[in-house]
Amino acid sequence: MGNDDKLIASLEAFLTNDVETLKENVEKLIKDYTRKSKRLDKIIHQSDKQQRELLELNEELERTYEELDEYKNHLEEKVEEGISEIKGLNVEIEDTQKEVVFTMGAIGESRSKETGNHVKRVAEYSKILALAYGMDEAEAEMLKQASPMHDIGKIAIPDAILNKPGRFDEAEFEHMKRHAELGYEMLRHSSRTLLKAAATVAYEHHEKWAGGGYPRNIKGEEIHIYGRITAVADVFDALGSDRCYKKAWDDESILSLFKEERGRQFDPKLVDLFFENLDAIMDVREQYRDLFTDENPQKG
Amino acid sequence: METLTIPASKYTPEIELNAEQNTITIKGKSYPENTFDFYAPVMSWLQSYFEQDKLPKTTVNMEIIYFNSSSSKLFFDLFDLFEEAQDDGKEITVNWYYDAENESAEEAGEDFKEDFEAMDFNIIKK
Repeated sequence: MGNDDKLIASLEAFLTNDVETLKENVEKLIKDYTRKSKRLDKIIHQSDKQQRELLELNEELERTYEELDEYKNHLEEKVEEGISEIKGLNVEIEDTQKEVVFTMGAIGESRSKETGNHVKRVAEYSKILALAYGMDEAEAEMLKQASPMHDIGKIAIPDAILNKPGRFDEAEFEHMKRHAELGYEMLRHSSRTLLKAAATVAYEHHEKWAGGGYPRNIKGEEIHIYGRITAVADVFDALGSDRCYKKAWDDESILSLFKEERGRQFDPKLVDLFFENLDAIMDVREQYRDLFTDENPQKG
Repeated sequence: METLTIPASKYTPEIELNAEQNTITIKGKSYPENTFDFYAPVMSWLQSYFEQDKLPKTTVNMEIIYFNSSSSKLFFDLFDLFEEAQDDGKEITVNWYYDAENESAEEAGEDFKEDFEAMDFNIIKK
């Protein structure tokens, strides 16, 4: 029975003075009203509670967004800091590498009482020739860094031979020649491009274009371009310097030797490039010339 | 009777009224733009369903995450319908599922259970 029916039944009972039915129907109406009224309270309470929970969730979400935003800004800062730190470290690593390589070359030279400037000059001559030959800046720069290590194998040659005044006998010369292979052995195990290049330079800088060089007696383009370039740079500088076994040559004699050895000891193309770039090469020699004072007397 | 399926939308729950398995499932949020229009086919399906003779036990599974006040009013009407069917001799079990973190869903289940004390009404934490 619906509420309307109950209400009608109650009215009929009232009009007919049927007290029992009236009482029964009014009680039903009140019971029903009470239940519905409680439901309304529950619906309102449920709605309020959900609204509050949703509000809390919303606030939490906003807080999360703010935190995320802050984190994002902070992250960008951190990433930038990190990148600049990495860049700094990279520069430091590169500088350290250059210094180590250069120092290694200088150690080889100091053992034979040659000056540190020799390796600097050989480095610069090598780069000039590399660029003239057509290498790009990066490769020419790498050769510049690798070429100072050409004599690193000399650290394994006994002082008595290395610093002997005058000419070597045949056994001593054979021993001395081993420095090329020794240098190669020292460097060849590295996977670094620079050290690999240095290994090649150490191994092949005494080979000759027409053959007859050492250690392998290879010729022409069998000799790596790094070896051919360093050979020109090293000989040019060695001839112009005093050594324990000889005096420096004058420029005229040096240049005429290069002309003579074009296509014999040296790659003819490199000799041509050497003469084409002679001004730049002489500038380097001037810039890094050996200075001898009383405090720093020439030895050997 | 055909099964009535209404897929969930952004504001309305997923509904499946299955006359073969005798299950009634309402799951999700309930914020219809017009609640009574939205649930009208559900109510009329249920009325026809409970008019059947020799109905096996019917299981009602409800998992309502959040709902608006008109949905709450409608759920009371829905349970009224179940109560009438039970008075008419039909066997019905209601399972009200709620997530442990959803306090309002738990409380709402308790509200309905309290109102329909003659019904087999289970409040189940997921």
